[in-house]
Amino acid sequence: MNHVSPRATYLHIPFCVHRCGYCNFTVITGRDDLVEPLLAAIATELSWLDSPCPVETLYFGGGTPTYLSPTHLSTLCEMALKWHPLVSGYEWTVEANPGDLDLEKIDVLAAQGVNRLSLGSQSFRKEKLTLLERDHSADDIRKCVELCRQAGITFSLDLIFGTPGETLAQWQTDLEQAIQLEPNHISTYGLTFERGTQFWNRLQHKELIPVAEELERDMYLLAIDMLTRAGFGHYEISNFARPGHRSRHNETYWSGRGYFAAGPGAARYVDGVRQTNHRSTTTYLRRIQQGRSPVAEEERLDDVAKAREALVFGLRRIAGIERTSFEAQTGITLETLAGDTVRRFVDLGMLTDDGQRIRLTREGLLVSDALWPELL
Amino acid sequence: MEHIRNFCIIAHIDHGKSTLADRLIQTCGGIAQRDLHEQMLDSMDIERERGITIKSNTITLNYCGPDGKDYLLNLIDTPGHVDFSHEVRRSLMACEGALIIVDASQGVEAQTVANLYMALEHDLELLPIINKIDLPSADIERAQEAIDAELGLDPFAAIPISAKNGINIEAVLQGIVEKLPPPQGDPSAPLKALVFDAHFDKFRGVILQCRVMEGTLKPRDMIHFMHADRDFKVDEVGYNQFQLNPRKQLSAGEVGYIVAGVKSVQDIEIGDTITLLDRPADEPIPGYQPARQVVFSSIYPMDTGEYEELTKALEKLAINDAALTFEKDSSAALGFGFRCGFLGLLHLDVIQERLQREFDIGLVISAPSVKYKLTLRDGSEIDVDNPSYWPDPMSIESASEPYIKASILTPEEYVGGVMELCREHRSESQTMDYLSAKRLEVTSIMPLGEVLFDFYGKLKMLTRGYGSFDYEPIEYRTTDIVKVDILVNKEPVDTLSYLVHRDKARSRALHYCEQLAKEIPRHQFKIPIQGAIGGEIIARTTVAPYRKDVTEKLYGGDVTRKKKLLEKQKKGKAKMKQFGSVNIPQKAFVSVLRADDD
Repeated sequence: MNHVSPRATYLHIPFCVHRCGYCNFTVITGRDDLVEPLLAAIATELSWLDSPCPVETLYFGGGTPTYLSPTHLSTLCEMALKWHPLVSGYEWTVEANPGDLDLEKIDVLAAQGVNRLSLGSQSFRKEKLTLLERDHSADDIRKCVELCRQAGITFSLDLIFGTPGETLAQWQTDLEQAIQLEPNHISTYGLTFERGTQFWNRLQHKELIPVAEELERDMYLLAIDMLTRAGFGHYEISNFARPGHRSRHNETYWSGRGYFAAGPGAARYVDGVRQTNHRSTTTYLRRIQQGRSPVAEEERLDDVAKAREALVFGLRRIAGIERTSFEAQTGITLETLAGDTVRRFVDLGMLTDDGQRIRLTREGLLVSDALWPELL
Repeated sequence: MEHIRNFCIIAHIDHGKSTLADRLIQTCGGIAQRDLHEQMLDSMDIERERGITIKSNTITLNYCGPDGKDYLLNLIDTPGHVDFSHEVRRSLMACEGALIIVDASQGVEAQTVANLYMALEHDLELLPIINKIDLPSADIERAQEAIDAELGLDPFAAIPISAKNGINIEAVLQGIVEKLPPPQGDPSAPLKALVFDAHFDKFRGVILQCRVMEGTLKPRDMIHFMHADRDFKVDEVGYNQFQLNPRKQLSAGEVGYIVAGVKSVQDIEIGDTITLLDRPADEPIPGYQPARQVVFSSIYPMDTGEYEELTKALEKLAINDAALTFEKDSSAALGFGFRCGFLGLLHLDVIQERLQREFDIGLVISAPSVKYKLTLRDGSEIDVDNPSYWPDPMSIESASEPYIKASILTPEEYVGGVMELCREHRSESQTMDYLSAKRLEVTSIMPLGEVLFDFYGKLKMLTRGYGSFDYEPIEYRTTDIVKVDILVNKEPVDTLSYLVHRDKARSRALHYCEQLAKEIPRHQFKIPIQGAIGGEIIARTTVAPYRKDVTEKLYGGDVTRKKKLLEKQKKGKAKMKQFGSVNIPQKAFVSVLRADDD
């Protein structure tokens, strides 16, 4: 694979009002004093690029980028554009929390050129939002959607399913309400209990009981069925989009192409090297301020490793992997890489193979994690 | 000779035997403080961890008695488990006295009683010690009552101590010289020395531990092992004082070591009598029993590439373990391995753990079996201890299996449960005797094969740890044995096959199937697990397939983390053995052998 300059950039803004019980992302709360130093540090990290690198997609994630004040948001946008000017036809996404997005902030974003918001809506049901420790209401979501429409910004809704005690009917109502808002994009995630979170502890102490596997499976299948019927194309394990509205930025990740990144805990993939910045915001800051690299982990991939990644992560896409383009991209044929394993999974009904393209079957999709170790 | 005392310490697990030994060693200055780590005598990691003593160790202490005279105190350590009871006997044979430890808060335990009887059989003088008097729950008076009622010893002779805090250790030393008798024997008689232990030293070869009963032994003597019928030339003799302290000679009454150019403990027999080649004793010391392997099991390396390492490891262990036997074996599924003979289940456990821990070899172990004697229709007779060699059932005229006389000591209140347990394990007769007002001995005639599985653990559980168990083989009796195969996803896994009495076949098979279903991870498909006698399925379970197992969030920052997770899973897979399309973790092979851990 030849090294082309990445066409995507991710910036991580770690601030949040509150760390939700299920969240294990790089997040910091109650440290407003660090906002300006962090923006300065991100500017410094970006400046180490030496010269501006134009990109097709830009993504602000968090934490909560919209936690920043309008002024700080402006600053962030400006420095991003300085080092990563956007080419025409770009996609610029900002993650937003319905609880702290307002007219002023959305105006700033729209004025800067942001054209896509990813709303952490999660649910429309009060009890579920409370359990998830979210600070917004269903009305806040509707208000944000309205703001997006007025500002001419397309939006995506995130939904979580399989929270303790949740029924299939309740999940169906969440999906219906999301569809009613007519977003162009929906992401659905089954709740997971990650080590190091409050939810993990509560799970260990049996304070939280996960939904039964069979129910979680039904919930996922219900989402696929309802969203597909409502005109959303299922294009990745957790992602659904109306025609022309897939997340181009996220497709970069699944296709094995490179991307830039800056901010605490942010990961980049440039010239065949994967790097992850230090997850602690304060350590990140200190290192940048001292002129040291914020990278905590680094992995250089050889051609086979790159190809295996492209295979495993590429299969997350419902369209699957096309043999010819896979070989063109990786320089390795699918047959040499995993011919036998692929045949075994086809026999088991986990994959289909029409000779040109392999893709996960619905059953394969549901148990895909059990397949990956054998392909990697 | 009157300044020598040979003694051992008898105690229930955890009642402070090793701690007391440490204190005695410390008080006599047998070792510099800096070299002292807890439980000096238990030198194997496994011993220290499990709080048991497997290999006995011996130490000679210099003690200046209250009479102002110098004494040599030989502390002979004894193993504390039924598998090693023949080692206990040998150690006791080297002693004239024993300290019996009673826990001040817990009183007398079954194991103590069992060992006490063994000590009495060998005419040892007993000195009771009440330990752990520092504990708030200590009740010295009750402990004294127990010593009187349950051990039948003089409660007023008992010395109250705290080994942990070093309280009253001097009184114990005084008691040893005053209450325990000195050895007897004639230094000028023909040599009779009991080999009660041996271990391999890579520089010196085998170092023999012995007690000289009669006569005198010197370097350059030619010695003769009376049972093994082998001769060696003595290089060195001396005392064990944490290092080998050479002496000019060892004579009657003394305990010490011998270096005599022995290359492996397999070359000699522990319990053997050494005499001089040119002036032999008339007969060996009585009571010799060769180590007997009663349990057989196949051991395979998890990774077939580790066969060479397994071979070397077993050879190394055997150098130091005369009771371990092994010969080459092979399995369709697992390749080459070894059929090994053990003294009992704990012995098997210890070997398995040492192979994994000291040699870092992942193992698959087959179900332990006894040796069956078969008469075939063509009139020939064969012994089979390995299911792989079980003949076609149609060709078997009759089969017999080894029976034991099991002796179980239990508090009165559990006797009903113990009898029931014996009956469940095909006991053919049970009798009981009162040893004291509250303590009984149940004698059960039963198949040895029945105590290999699900017996000892259950006994411990239903007697709340108070039951103790010992056995001796008696004879072979006619039986009806079948071979059960275990099929995973329709494929027989040969190392899981086992031999069992027909009446027990179904319940054992169900246990196997259930344990395997618990341990085999879910796959992408349904996995049937079946137990079968020939073509007849007698038990079944299934491992349900994954229903939902999917990482829903995978974006730029998740790639590295996810890959790490996947690589970890992949490594986990490497620890499994693939049978057809099913991965069976090593743990599964172990779990089927245990009935008592849940």
